Amino acid sequence: MIGLAIALSLIAVGGAGFLYRLLVGPSLADRVVSLDGLLTLIVTAVLAWGAFTRTGTYLTLGVVVALVAFLGTSAFARFVEGRRR
Amino acid sequence: MMDVAAAVLVVAGAALAALSGIGQVRFADLFTRMHIATKPATLGLLLVAAGASLRIDSAGAATLLFLTVVLQFATGPVSAHLVGRAAHRHGDWDRRNAAVDQLAEVDEL
Repeated sequence: MIGLAIALSLIAVGGAGFLYRLLVGPSLADRVVSLDGLLTLIVTAVLAWGAFTRTGTYLTLGVVVALVAFLGTSAFARFVEGRRR
Repeated sequence: MMDVAAAVLVVAGAALAALSGIGQVRFADLFTRMHIATKPATLGLLLVAAGASLRIDSAGAATLLFLTVVLQFATGPVSAHLVGRAAHRHGDWDRRNAAVDQLAEVDEL
């Protein structure tokens, strides 16, 4: 169980970095990129939790979040592009 | 033995996730941050999924892990390319940091 604590702490450190860029990021594109990375880290955390507790129940969540992250990022990319300067 | 290998894989993947988050704070402009946001996080997801597939021994779990990794590897570069191209076209980046801009004559600015 010490492994789960180490893994989740490391992922939380990474998430804090992405969250900082999401809040501070100078342009909208920075925020979109960091939101995409944050969702990747959420999938990573779900898989790490499943690995250490030996439960496969929440693995569907990883597939769904990965799919929603892609759809959201591509929609945001269209928005970044079409916005007036 | 299998459990030790799985723990090492999961912790290594989590360390890559931490690295990509630290890079978000440390790196200076949009395209380097995009580089550090996509590649180490995706590799970290692959390592964590490999560790999880060693720990959870059922065929359904292996299928879901495989699907997650394939989905992330297929969509990560595409979405990064979309955002990067949109940001370049819109001018949301610092031109002084670029040594060469090969999209300059493609995107009308």
